[in-house]
Amino acid sequence: MVPPKPVPKTKPRRGIFHAFKGNLEALMIGVKYFIDPKRFTLIYPKEYNKLREGYRGFIVLIKQKCINCASCARICPAAAMKMIRIPEVDEKTGKQKVKNWPVIDYRRCIFCGYCVDVCPTEALYHVPYHDVVYQNMAEMYLDLESFQKPPEYKAAEEGIPVRYIVDEERGLVKVPYKEGEK
Amino acid sequence: MDVIDVIVKIITWPPLWQLVVLGLVAPLGVVVGILWFERKTAARVQRRFGPLHVSPRIGGAIQLIADLMRYAFQEIIIPKTVDKGVFLIAPLTALVLSIVPVVAVPFTSVSHYWPIPMEYSVLISLALSTISAIFIVLAGWASNNKFSIIGGMREAYMITAYELMIILAILSVSAMTTSYNFVDVVLAQTGGKWFIILNPLAFLAAFISVLMATSGFPFEIPESENEVVAGPFTEYSGLLYGVNMGAAYIKRFVYSIFITLAFLGGWLPYQPGDGFISGYLIPSLVIIVKATILMAVFSFLRAVYGRYRLDQALDFAWKLLFPLALMGFGLGLLEAYIGLIG
Repeated sequence: MVPPKPVPKTKPRRGIFHAFKGNLEALMIGVKYFIDPKRFTLIYPKEYNKLREGYRGFIVLIKQKCINCASCARICPAAAMKMIRIPEVDEKTGKQKVKNWPVIDYRRCIFCGYCVDVCPTEALYHVPYHDVVYQNMAEMYLDLESFQKPPEYKAAEEGIPVRYIVDEERGLVKVPYKEGEK
Repeated sequence: MDVIDVIVKIITWPPLWQLVVLGLVAPLGVVVGILWFERKTAARVQRRFGPLHVSPRIGGAIQLIADLMRYAFQEIIIPKTVDKGVFLIAPLTALVLSIVPVVAVPFTSVSHYWPIPMEYSVLISLALSTISAIFIVLAGWASNNKFSIIGGMREAYMITAYELMIILAILSVSAMTTSYNFVDVVLAQTGGKWFIILNPLAFLAAFISVLMATSGFPFEIPESENEVVAGPFTEYSGLLYGVNMGAAYIKRFVYSIFITLAFLGGWLPYQPGDGFISGYLIPSLVIIVKATILMAVFSFLRAVYGRYRLDQALDFAWKLLFPLALMGFGLGLLEAYIGLIG
């Protein structure tokens, strides 16, 4: 097969004044932004991004609602959610028995949120933040106790919350978060 | 005579004052400020903050001093494969040669404070300013590194692009005043007749070619970071790298002084009087302030422009800038012919 002939790209010829105008416009935009800078840098420890409800952040277990069905562990694509066997005493009969409880390994978790979606009793929920620090890898494998309380959110203690909104004229804009906003 | 008097006499001796204070100390002070301004401006236009956390209250102004100290205390590594003598001498010579043109520049109209006779100062200063570029090519060659050689060759190509235009554009003021004397050129601009208004074409040509000569932003081709690591300066580290960068900025400062004298009226709304302060210090301060503003404009362009390719820059220089410089020259001749210039 004969390859198609290469067609040289032809630029539409524009005059020198067109180039001059383009340069001038670029400079004017630069001057405009220089006079009125529209910065949106997050100065992180002093400010933090207050994420919206429904954000797939860290996952917390409500133990009272859990029915030990292991759906979360089965659906987890990264095998981060695991069921562990914990022996306990039945309240009614007083017998020894072993129950399965879910725990999470944040070394593997990809924050897909399948476990929260699949839970039949809504025993799992997301907290709307993700900037949590662990001191070593072993700490990231939570046990049943630490899985039940939301992880410590240091940035919220020290910084002020801000939100990013998309403005028609200014583009991405950083605004201070108002209390009670969703 | 007192000891202090002697020291003051030595410091204010015009050649020394002009080379050391106006040629080295003033540019270094200006460069620290301008580098900070450049980074802050680019950040402002690109919706960032730039240097901030070093000193948040004054907008990170100490950042440049911190960088300078880091360069000063860094180890200077000389690779085994380089041509050692040339490698060491090239940046230092480039620095010295980029200061030298200041000696042929009058900072005042009082002849007592000129370091050399000023009859041919335009020609002498322009001639001296063109030497230092060859040492950048030399630094690239001596480094024995592919990026350095490519950067040095780019610099060599760029010399062919800007050198003629810069000389033509600045010499157009000589055509206007029929004099090679910078003092005559400045005095011809008395009464608000600055040559930027009378001959904007030559000013534009001079501005763009200075941008090319000092690798300002649309033409930052020899040192383009994302193509050739640091161009001719790839192998340099520590203070030698700082000297290289400083030489480029001092060169830009010296060219800014030329443009200030040729087009922006030099020391002009101020009239130099008698004595050291009135006759030398204040006029030179006026010139330095004007040159600093010009340098701020140069660094503002970094926020707006990308980078041309080498062939595009050469194309631009010979197809647009050369006619522009010639037109500026012709306009100057025409204005001199019809007697527009006093």
